[in-house]
Formats: sequence, C-alpha cells, structure tokens
Amino acid sequence: MKIDRRSFLTYTTAVVLGGAAGSMLSPATWKITDDIAIWTQNWPWTPVPEDGAVSYKQSVCTLCSGNCGINVRLIDGRPVKIEGLKDHPVNKGSLCPQGFSGLQYLYGPSRVTAPLKREGKRGEGKWKKVSWDEALAAVTGKLAELRKQGRPQSVACISGSDQGTIPNLIGRFLNAYGSPNFICEPTAQDAIEQAIYLTQGAQGEPVFDIENAEFILSFGSGILEGWGATGRMLNLYGAGKPARKIIQVEPRLSDTAAKASQWIGINPGTETALALGLAHVIINESLYDKNFVENLAFGFDDWTDDNGKTHEGFAAMVKNYAPAKVAQITGIDQAEIVSLARKFARAKRPIAVNGRGRGFLPGSIDESLAVLSLNALVGNINKTGGVSAMPDPNYTQWPEVKIDEIAAKGMQEPRIDGAGSEQFPNTRYLLNRLPETINTATGESPVQALLVTDANPLYTMPDTAATKKAFDRIPFIVSFSPYMDETARHADYILPNHSYLERLQDAPAAAGNSLQVISLAKPVVRPVYETQHIGDTFIQMAKGLGGFVNEAFPWASYEKFLKKTLADHWRTLNRKGILEFAHDLPEPLAYTFNTVSSKFEFYPTARNRAKQQKGSALPAYAPVPIEGDIQRFKLVMTPYDSIRLSGGYVANAPFMTKTVEDTVLKQQTSFVEINPATARELGLKEGGMARLTTPKGEADVKVHLYDGIKPGLIAMPRGLGHTAYSDYLADKGTNVNMLIGAIEDPGSGLNMAWGIRAKLTRI
Amino acid sequence: MKENNNHSNAKRYGMVIDLDKCTGCGSCMVACYSENNVPFKTDETNKLDSLNWIRVYKISNNKPYPHSEVCYLPMPCMQCDGIGKHGHSPCVSVCPAVATDYDYSTGIVSQIYTRCFGCRYCMAACPYHARKFNWWDPVWPADMEKYLSPNVSARMRGVVEKCSFCFHRYQLARDKAYLEKRQELAEDEYQTACAQGCPTGAITFGDLNNKSHAVYKLKKSPTAFRLLERLETNPKVYYLSSKSWVRRAGDNYLAHEETEKINNKVKEPYEAKEHL
Amino acid sequence: MNETPLIPAGVKRCSKWQFSLWMAAVTAVLLWGVYAMFLIWYKGLNQTNMNDAYGFALWIWADLAVIALGGGAFFSGFLTYIIGKDELKNIINFAVIIGFICYSSALLILAIDIGQPLRGWFIFWHANVHSMLTEVAFCLSCYFAVLTIEFIPLILENPKLAKKPFLHHLSHNMHGIMAVFAATGVFLSFFHQGSLGGVAGVLYGRPFAFREHIFIWPFTFFLFTWSAAACGPCFTILVTKITEKITGKKLVGDAAVRLLAKISGWMIITYIIAKTADTIYWAYVTAPGLGFTLMDFYTSSTYNIGLLFAEIIVCGFVPGLILITKRGRESSFLLMTAIILAVIGVSLNRWVMVLQVMAVPLFSFNEWYTYMPSWQEVATTVLPVAYGLIVISLAYRYLPVFPQERELNPID
Ligand SMILES: Nc1nc2c(c(=O)[nH]1)N[C@H]1C(S)=C(S)[C@@H](COP(=O)(O)OP(=O)(O)OC[C@H]3O[C@@H](n4cnc5c(=O)[nH]c(N)nc54)[C@H](O)[C@@H]3O)O[C@H]1N2
Ligand SMILES: Nc1nc2c(c(=O)[nH]1)N[C@H]1C(S)=C(S)[C@@H](COP(=O)(O)OP(=O)(O)OC[C@H]3O[C@@H](n4cnc5c(=O)[nH]c(N)nc54)[C@H](O)[C@@H]3O)O[C@H]1N2
Ligand code: SF4
Ligand code: SF4
Ligand code: SF4
Ligand code: SF4
Ligand code: SF4
Ligand SMILES: [Mo]
Repeated sequence: MKIDRRSFLTYTTAVVLGGAAGSMLSPATWKITDDIAIWTQNWPWTPVPEDGAVSYKQSVCTLCSGNCGINVRLIDGRPVKIEGLKDHPVNKGSLCPQGFSGLQYLYGPSRVTAPLKREGKRGEGKWKKVSWDEALAAVTGKLAELRKQGRPQSVACISGSDQGTIPNLIGRFLNAYGSPNFICEPTAQDAIEQAIYLTQGAQGEPVFDIENAEFILSFGSGILEGWGATGRMLNLYGAGKPARKIIQVEPRLSDTAAKASQWIGINPGTETALALGLAHVIINESLYDKNFVENLAFGFDDWTDDNGKTHEGFAAMVKNYAPAKVAQITGIDQAEIVSLARKFARAKRPIAVNGRGRGFLPGSIDESLAVLSLNALVGNINKTGGVSAMPDPNYTQWPEVKIDEIAAKGMQEPRIDGAGSEQFPNTRYLLNRLPETINTATGESPVQALLVTDANPLYTMPDTAATKKAFDRIPFIVSFSPYMDETARHADYILPNHSYLERLQDAPAAAGNSLQVISLAKPVVRPVYETQHIGDTFIQMAKGLGGFVNEAFPWASYEKFLKKTLADHWRTLNRKGILEFAHDLPEPLAYTFNTVSSKFEFYPTARNRAKQQKGSALPAYAPVPIEGDIQRFKLVMTPYDSIRLSGGYVANAPFMTKTVEDTVLKQQTSFVEINPATARELGLKEGGMARLTTPKGEADVKVHLYDGIKPGLIAMPRGLGHTAYSDYLADKGTNVNMLIGAIEDPGSGLNMAWGIRAKLTRI
Repeated sequence: MKENNNHSNAKRYGMVIDLDKCTGCGSCMVACYSENNVPFKTDETNKLDSLNWIRVYKISNNKPYPHSEVCYLPMPCMQCDGIGKHGHSPCVSVCPAVATDYDYSTGIVSQIYTRCFGCRYCMAACPYHARKFNWWDPVWPADMEKYLSPNVSARMRGVVEKCSFCFHRYQLARDKAYLEKRQELAEDEYQTACAQGCPTGAITFGDLNNKSHAVYKLKKSPTAFRLLERLETNPKVYYLSSKSWVRRAGDNYLAHEETEKINNKVKEPYEAKEHL
Repeated sequence: MNETPLIPAGVKRCSKWQFSLWMAAVTAVLLWGVYAMFLIWYKGLNQTNMNDAYGFALWIWADLAVIALGGGAFFSGFLTYIIGKDELKNIINFAVIIGFICYSSALLILAIDIGQPLRGWFIFWHANVHSMLTEVAFCLSCYFAVLTIEFIPLILENPKLAKKPFLHHLSHNMHGIMAVFAATGVFLSFFHQGSLGGVAGVLYGRPFAFREHIFIWPFTFFLFTWSAAACGPCFTILVTKITEKITGKKLVGDAAVRLLAKISGWMIITYIIAKTADTIYWAYVTAPGLGFTLMDFYTSSTYNIGLLFAEIIVCGFVPGLILITKRGRESSFLLMTAIILAVIGVSLNRWVMVLQVMAVPLFSFNEWYTYMPSWQEVATTVLPVAYGLIVISLAYRYLPVFPQERELNPID
C-alpha cells in the first residue's frame, strides 16, 4: 500500500478528529470524568456536616473558675460552636482559648464514657465497663465497711473547689458520713485570704477591685495568663488599655509583663523585700495615707502589749529595708525603687496585687502580708478600687445535718492534712502536706479511701513521685472525673461525671470580682455518654449508706436539691441565668475590722504563736529556702503559666495545644527558657537538647534562648507532660510539677516554694 | 477575575488589629478553628504543616535583659487587593484553575476547596504564609465529627485553605438582610469569629470604605501600618502599634531608611474617592 | 528462518543477557520510584517533607530542570529543520528522545506533585488565563504531543515494525512533514519555557524571584527560554557522550557535536550577559526598593553568595567562554567540563528560582526556611532517571537512533 502525503494527512486528520469526536460525543467519557471529579470532591471519608434548624442556648463556661457566659450555637440540637455571651457581666462576649475549645471537652478520646472498674494493675489502663448500679454498690459498700469499722475519718475527698453547691453537697456528705477530710487544692488565694484575715479579721474571698484601680502594681501576678477570673481580666485589659497603668514586677518577661506599662525585672523570690522597701520609701517620705494609718490602723508605730512588753511597729521595722539594701536583694536599681514607691503612693487609685502567675502556688504569708501592708499604707482597704474580703454570698439554704455517733466521733478526729490544727490554725486546706503524712505513717495509710473530684493531684501536685507513692498506699481510690486524667487512670473505680456542657450547676464567679456573680450552668445537650451528674451520684451513695447519711439528702436528684436549696433565688437564676450580689463596702469612715484592736493590723496579732514567740509577727523578708545544693545546682528554675496551656485540672483540649508555640513544645519535647548569656556559658544553643536536673527529678528538654528572662534563671511552662487523657495530650513534654517540690510556710503550712534549684547539661 | 468593579458601593472589608491590646492569648486562633471546622492532629508543633487560618506570632525587639520587649502579632489572610488594587492579589492571579478568586463586591479573597487541585502555586505567591495545605486527610476522633458546623465545608486532603474573613457569616447576614428587604448590612451584623472572640477587643472588623465603620478611622491612625506594604500587595488588614520597633518589624527596610517615611510613601491615597 | 531481527542491521549490540541484567538493575530503581509514587498517590503529599513554606520543592525544581535540559530537543529541532543545519541530523533523533523523556517525566512529576491528581484536568477545564501555570500546562502538554509525534517515526523504523508496509509508510510520511512539527514545537517551547520563567518572575510577593519593568516581560521569559536553548543542547551532548562511553562506541561525529557546542557556547554567553544585567538591576534597584539588600538573600549557610557566583561565573561565563573558543570545543576535556558546568548551571538556576525563593524569610522575625526531601520525593525524582535510562537503552538497542553509527563503527 502506498500512501502519498496528501492521503496521509487526510487519513491522520480523519482518525484524530474521528477519535476525538467519538470520545467527546460518547456519554461515557463525560460521565466518567464528571464522576471522578465529583468523587474527588466528596471523598466519602471527608465528613459533610448535617444542616438543620439553628438555635442558641445560653449557659456558663465552668472549665475554669472564671465562669464566663457562653452562647452555644446548635444545629438541630447539636452544638456546633461556643461563643461568648455578649451581655454577660464577666466576659462581655469574648472567651479564652479554653472556652472556645469547649466542644472538644464534650466529645473526644479523653472522655470516660461509662462507669469503669479497674482490671489489672493500678495505672495500667485496663478497665472493665460496669453498670452504674454495680459501680455505686461497690463504692458505697467500701464506704459502709469503713464506717462499720468505726473509722469514717479515713475517707478523704480531694476537690478542686469549695465554692458552689456541688462541693458543699460533697462536704455535707462527708460530714454526715463522719469525715473531716474534705481537702481543697490550695492556691495563692489561700495565702491572701489568710493575710486579709490576719490584718482585718475578715473571712471571705479576697477582692482586688482592679476594675476601679488606675495604677496596678503587680508582684508577678499573671493578670493576662489566667490570674483571678481569666475572662474578666482579659476584658479589663482591653477596655482599660489607655487609662490604666500596670507595673509588672517579675524575673521573666511574661505576657503580662510584655503588655504592662513598665516591666521591672527582679531576683526571683525577693518580692517581699521589694514590698517592704517600697513601704520604707513611702513612710520615709511621708507619702502614706495619714488618716488611715493614724485613725484606722494598729501596729504602725511601736506598741506595748498587756504584759508590758514593747513590740516594734511596722514603721520602725521597715527601716531595715532601705533602698540600697533592697536594691542589692532584688537586683533592682535603687533609684528605680524610690521612683516606683513615689509613683505608687502618688497615683490616683493605686493597688498592689500578688499571687505568682495564675496563682497555682500559694506563696508565703509574709509576702501576702507585705503586699497588703503596701495597700494599707495608701489607705486602699475596703475601698472602691481597693482590697477587701467578700463574705460568702450565702444564697443557699441548707437543712440541718443530723449525725450519728460514728460520724460524731469521726468528725472530732484531727484533719489528716493538719489544716486548722494548733500549728496552722488559720489554714483551711493543706493538700500539699497529704503525701508526706501518708508516706511517713507507720502501718496503714491514714487514708483508706480517697474520693477525687474536679482535681487531678497526680498531675498538678508538686513532687509527682512522692504523690504517686502516697496514692499507692491508699487502698481504694474513686474518681468522678469525666476525663481519663492521671488521677482517674490511677483509680480503682471511675464514676464519670457529666462534662460541663451536659451538667446543671450553680457557678459562683471566681475570686476577685468586686461584684459577686452567680451564674447557672444549664445543660446545652443531653448527656452523650453513660455518665451521671456527680450530685446525683452522691445522693445515690447517701441512699446506699442509709441512716442519717441518707436523711441528710432528702432530695431525689441534684436538680430537685438545687431548686430547694436556692429557694427564692432559683426563679431569678433560672430566668436570668445570673444572680448578682453587690459587694457592699463599709462606709468610708466607719471601717469595721474584726481584729483584736478593731483596726487594720499592720502588726497581725492573730498570727500564729510559733512565729510570735521567736519575735515579731510583722512581715519580714527571708529568702524561701528553695531546695537544692547551690554548688550542684547552679541555676534556678521556676514554672510559668501561659494562657494557651491549662496547668490545672481541666487539661488542654487539642485546639489549645495546637496554639502552643514551637518554642514551647516541639514534638514530644518541652523547652526551657534561658537567657542567651547563661546559655552561652553552658554551651547551649537555640533548640539544642539538654538534660534538666533538679533535686526532684530529671528530664530531657530543648533549650529556647529568651532575652526576656533573668540570667541564671530558667523557666518551664505548666500544663505539659501529661501521661493520661489521649494521644492529643499525653507524652507531650515534661510535667514541671514532677521537677519541683513543696516548702511549707512555717506559719501557714501552705506551700511557699516558687521554684527549685536546677542544672542544665548539654546532651 | 474579570468583573465589573465599578460598583459605587463596593465594600472593602478589612481589619484593624491593635497590637498594643493583643495579649497573645490565642483566642482568635481557637475561635477560628471552631468556627471554620479546622481539623487538628496529634502533633501540631510543626507550624509549617499546621492548619491555622490565623497565626499569632511572637516577635521581639532582640534587646538583652532587662530591655527586651515582645509583641504578639496575629496574622490572618491579608485579603490583598494586590498591585494596582484591582484584585490582582498575589495568590489569585497565579491560580491556574480559578480555585481562589477576588470578590469585587466585598474585597474578600475566596478559596474553593472543591476546585483546588493542590498545585500550591498560590502558596508560593503569598508572602504572608496565610495559605495552608491539607497534607493529611482531616480526622475528628471519637464523636468529634458531631460538632462540625454545616456552614463551612470540611476540606479534603490535597487542597489549600485559608482565612475567608468568615465569608459564610457575610452570606448569612446578607441573606437575612435580603429577607428583611434591606440593602445594607449594619456594622455589627457581619463580624468575623476572631474579632468577636478576642477578649481584649484588639481586632476591629468592618468596611474600610464606609466612613461610619470603626475601621475607617482606625486605619488612618498615625500608628497604623500594614505588613510588607512595600511589596504592594495592598493588604486589607491593618495594624496599630505605639512602638516604633514593632512598626518597623512589619516590613523590610534598608539600614538607613526611616520607617515612617517609607510607610507614608506606600500608604494608600485613594479611599476617599472610592466611597459613594 | 526468515525472521527479521529486532536489532537494526549493520550495528552491534551487547548480548541478551548483558542487556537483561542491565535492564533488571535499572528496572529495580524504577520500581522503587513507582512504589514511592503509588505511596504518594495513596496516602497523599504528607509522604513528602514539603510544608506550607516549601509548597514548591524538589519536584518543581526537577520539573523545571528537566524541561530546561529537555530544551535540547526544541532547539536542535529549530536548528536542524528551520535554520537548516543539516549536520545536526546526526544528533537530532537522540535530542528528540531525550526531550521526550524529559517532557514525559515532567508531566509525570506534575501528576505526582499536585494534591488532587484526579482533578489535574481542572487546569484545562477551569483555566485561568492570567496564570503562568495555565500557560505552562497547555504548552507543555501540546509540546509533549509534538515530541511524541516526532518520536513515533523513529520507533517505526525498528526493522520489525518497518516491515509492515503501513507503518513503514506512516513513518516515511511523518518524516516528511517533521519540519512542520519541529516548527510547532519550537513555537510551543518558546512559550512554555518562557512561561516557566514567568512562574517565578510574577511572584511580586517574593522579592527574590520578582522582577520589574522589562525585567519581568520579556526578561524572565526570555531568560528561561534562552537558558534552556543554551544548556539543553549541552545536556544532549552530555547524554550522547555518556552513551558513547557506556557503549564504547563513537555514535555522533565530532562535527555535529562541535557545531552544537559552538552554538550553545554563544547562546550561553549571550544568556549569561543578559542574566547578569538582570541580576544587577534586581540587586541594585528592585530589591532595595522592597527593603532588601542583595546580601539579605544570601545570609543562610546553604544559600550563601557562593551560589550566585557559581551560577553566573563558574557555570555561566566559564562554560560559555570555553565553548565559543575552537580550542575549547576541540579539547575533549574542556568540552566535557564546559557541558557539565552548563548543565549544572541551568539546573542551579532552576534550583534557586524554586528552592531559594521559598527559603528566603520575608519578615525580619522569621528564620530561613529549611527543607530536606523525604525518601519518597527522592525516589520519585530518581524514577524519571531510571525511566530515561530504560527508554534510551531500548531506543539505542532497537532503533536506528544514530545515523552515523554504522559509518563510525563498521562491523568487519
Ligand atoms: N486559658 C486558661 N485559663 C485558665 C485555666 C486554664 O487552664 N486555661 N485554668 C483556670 C484554672 S483551672 C485556674 S485554677 C485559674 C487560676 O486561677 P484561680 O485558681 O482561679 O485563681 P484564684 O485562686 O482565683 O486566684 C489566684 C490569685 O488571683 C489573685 N486575684 C486576682 N484578682 C483578684 C481579685 O480581684 N481579688 C482577689 N482577691 N484575688 C485576686 C489572688 O492573688 C489569687 O491568689 O486559671 C483559670 N484560667
Ligand atoms: N465560682 C467560684 N469557683 C471557685 C472559686 C470561686 O471563688 N468562685 N474559688 C476558686 C478557688 S479559690 C479555687 S483554688 C478553685 C480551684 O478550682 P479550679 O481553679 O476550678 O481548678 P484547679 O485547676 O483544680 O485549680 C487549682 C490547681 O492548681 C494546682 N495546685 C494547687 N497547688 C499547687 C501547687 O502547690 N503546685 C502545683 N504545681 N499545682 C498546685 C491544683 O492541683 C489544681 O490543679 O476553685 C475555685 N472555684
Ligand atoms: S476564662 Fe475560664 S470560664 Fe472563661 S472561657 Fe476561659 S475557661 Fe471558660
Ligand atoms: S484573641 Fe485578641 S488578644 Fe488574643 S491573641 Fe488574638 S488578637 Fe491577640
Ligand atoms: S495574604 Fe496571601 S492568601 Fe491572603 S490574599 Fe494576600 S496573597 Fe492571598
Ligand atoms: S493550590 Fe489550589 S488554589 Fe492554589 S493555585 Fe493551585 S489550584 Fe489554585
Ligand atoms: S476572619 Fe474568620 S476565617 Fe479569618 S482568621 Fe478570623 S475567624 Fe478565621
Ligand atoms: Mo483555682
């Protein structure tokens, strides 16, 4: 066959065009191509969220004690987004990252989805699902047994909070059962509360009226990191930016320091000296509030007691804190100290606040007293824009509890943690002392059964190893956690509570609000899993125990109980979602102090005897003897708080961890912050690996060079290094609590440690 | 891309972020994740494969203790108007498949996931790293799929996504206005999730062309600047900072150049005549 | 028996066994790449080490490099069929095969590189005419079709196939009109090579890549086309020389090689002068206008100023100067040095225009971005090399690729 060029071209063209036309006209080509496109655009494994009717439900975020108002968007009853409630007095429409992560606490791999009974060794993670009846019978049986043995006091409960009806319901249960051992996790607030009690004789929540202050002198408080009521503080900052001055005194450039009008770097742990040094200048230059000091205060000048013994007063005592000396202690320039004291005293509405970071660590009573004295010097007590104590709002009405003989005997036993004892008369809870008490007890553990709610001590308490040892000695541990946290993982039974969005609960607003706001958290969704409201669980346990314990709970359910106890308030709360109680400050010139002198006591005469015998009860600066041999451990480490990390009981949701910077966590490794100069001395580079050793333990970490930290100091965030929850949180970084210990304040028993000595070696 | 852009009442939605107010809390990031069905992985510490429509950077003046200062800088998509401000955004003009487009009625740069075939040319073009690639199939473990919002479709593996200025909120607001026979949206009717969620009110959102909107005035503040203005990307996200080192960190300067002089040179001179 | 041999008459090929062994080895490498390729298609681009800063990485470099190196095909075609340099007929077949390999590899890599390969056709269906990539995709596909058409008649010249009259005539006729395709190819190549330059040049958000005024149009386009035309033939020569080395035979006469080398030399010199002008304008006018000094782009340990020196001086002026001198072309050492440098030079240019563009931090508070390809990326980048070797081996063994082979290697 011979083809000439012409026919070749014709032929080829015909084939090509014919083929093209054929395939174009064939529906198959089009259909297949289209189908492929559609398929790639709708891979069956990519979810298509269902649409439906939109509705909103208002409630309260109780993920932290901030209690921000929330507005939950639902699609056909399915919550899809949590937003801030616009006209809520606390947060005015915004939320913190944790609040926005809320739906990840409702669903997700860290939820405990049904009552669980331990199988296998403790902490091994092997569980058997059991029915609620079975779980309740087991726990109630154990409690009944201990009561029968006449030792109800060996049952202890660790609770994250003592505010609101749920902790009170549990407290009531323990009372009727016969145990005095309701233990709350202490925070900086406990130390401040005590200092207020000692100087003013007032019991109640400390209020720092920051809203109405104009010059805020903060001794390391993480105002923007979650201190006080988180949502409210953040709002306040945004609203007050131009008018308000914040002076942040802290050895590390925290977020609060970064946003402050002025940041003053200080040697860690010397805040008390600075406060007293400022007092020195204020008194020396006669800048203090004469009216307050002369007419309404006691112990400013030297005084003589009933026995004729003369005591040095506050004014004389602070002579020991001349700026030159304080400069040496604190590392702050002398001129700076003088100028700060003048600015503070002359400011229109000054306030001094303390509680390091988020306030997880109580700190020393001396420090709180010194800061409070500073406030008193400028007459800033019981005033708008000042410091005061808010009495319990008392919005609930509880019927009397009747107790039987066993319970009466149990209630007379001393508390296991030593709080309220002769040694620590003014302290309510001393969780930090519990591990040692258990570990040093001869024979059996004094705690035979431990109930844990809204707390995760195996993660949050300092010296994790000692805590774990103590827990291992407790024969029976019950957790009520909705999440598989470290403590729940170590329990014998988990009786999971509803998550916060499934739960009815009153929520008293956090410390510090000059306006007490009680919000009502209403379930926004029906329980997703086989969980039960912790209030109902305790009521059912009481029923199981029978007798007076049962009689103390004459309600069929928590809901009925709440309506009853709130009485008249229920209707308002249910309708408006909030109850507001004005914090009535005493009339300006009619201060009433409940102290021995009926005045504000610069010299706290009620301070415990141990201290007074040695000499003065006045606040004094003495370095907290932080642990570690200075020769071996040349550096000092402090934990720090970040608002993107939860250091407390409700751990990070995946979304929060997602926001954590790659200079804080990289894959599985935490960073320590270190000054570049210190790093250079140690031969450490940005991102390099190092072994961090403290007297309590060691960890491999990465190094982040940060100009904003004092040379010689290193810092590590709270909230990482979980071992439980889920793959989204476990095994990420180091738990700083594992590396630090507690140091008892001799006067209060509270943990006054702020750091620990440490060593970093390049690896 | 070609469309009538002579709308007399065209909107130019934009943001003003006050860096003096931003505390770096990260609420904007999480508000955005939860509004826009952004997925998450077990390890999110590689910020270069982490889906974030807004990322809050922490920048420093690089001075030694105790003179060091830091500032947080949230960066969503800048919704660039592009050279000549005709919607020639760096990313839009390069996309071969028109999977990202400039909407002339709002100034918002869209992203169409089902159109995008994952060539990533737009990512190469965007100087702000605002565009994120779905390297993985998204996974919502243990019932978490149930919280997904129907207003924003979940993205499949292999496509690019980015901040949309919560465009679905605009659509919802516009639909509502339409039903109520209104032409104009009030300032608070269309707000982004991040602006709404910011606890310190650092983010202000609105129509940059509308004299009655807060952003109109704020963007003219003497301390206002935009990121990488000198590239002429013409971002619609403005920043405020009282600190000159922060303003300088927002762009590149030769050693001898003065920040404000350059800024004034590149600042847009035109908005007055554009609004009705 | 009357069986027609598979191997062209008058030439000597290695034994079946030797060939099979060689093919098995190369196929193993190919399969490794194919495995990685399926892994990527199945699991997605998370199999790579690319990230949001390095959205374009090793593959896009490989694409640009391979297209530049494949430029030998269009340029030789241009010289042979359009300018009428008959001498080059001795090498044009091989140039076409290399081009075919390069372009098919480029398309394959693109199909792996995109996040949604099954939507790849959206680039045609939903084309955005403003996008450089659209232009590239269209021209690239068309030119690949042209190369296929140019390759087919050669395949049909296999003795066994040529026995079929239809195929024989088809081949003959196609040869006859090859100039038309060559011209089409040149036209298309001019466009897509240029557009590829434009891909980087239009990125006005990337000061390292961005060019202004005439330095964007026509310069970025022109530079890419010119450099491909200049260095592509060097790659053709390089592969020819390697083939000669492996087969132990001279396959292309010196005259053809030297002519091509000479033209390349002048192309390289003119290109590199233009490139220098472009660089100077960019370094002294464009970049400073955006707040950058030249050295800002070279502060990384990987991306230091040595790279610019290497690209322009060592791999630009040096090979160019060698190739334009007669002595340089006639010394086999200098010739080899020059063509290797030229090949490296154009690859380096494509490297910086992809990788360095991505690596440069744009904010004062960002660090340089770093990236190391994953094994899957490396394997899929090696895959075209193995594929190329297979195609070349088959072509060499079964097709009359080198018209001069018989004459240069008489079988006695
Ligand atoms: N993003 C995020 N935010 C969180 C958390 C989180 O995980 N993530 N965690 C939350 C949790 S669990 C906690 S415990 C909190 C920590 O904060 P909380 O434990 O709620 O802190 P408090 O004990 O209320 O307060 C700590 C200190 O705040 C001070 N304080 C602040 N403002 C005032 C005030 O006006 N009056 C008084 N009297 N004291 C004030 C006191 O010094 C007090 O000691 O942070 C919460 N915020
Ligand atoms: N509505 C309302 N609710 C309140 C209050 C309120 O006023 N109103 N009061 C709040 C108060 S005072 C508190 S403290 C909260 C507690 O309750 P929340 O703030 O809601 O919860 P937690 O996160 O448990 O808070 C304290 C955390 O700090 C940890 N922690 C305590 N001491 C230490 C320590 O020494 N070292 C380390 N590493 N961690 C420590 C605890 O383990 C615990 O995890 O209850 C709060 N609940
Ligand atoms: S501050 Fe506390 S209460 Fe408010 S949103 Fe955050 S976690 Fe919830
Ligand atoms: S939410 Fe507001 S304050 Fe928080 S990081 Fe974002 S912009 Fe800054
Ligand atoms: S910021 Fe980036 S993604 Fe957003 S419009 Fe500008 S170039 Fe496009
Ligand atoms: S990745 Fe998607 S949006 Fe980006 S340029 Fe490619 S097709 Fe367009
Ligand atoms: S505007 Fe919307 S999409 Fe953009 S960052 Fe804010 S919340 Fe996310
Ligand atoms: Mo707390």
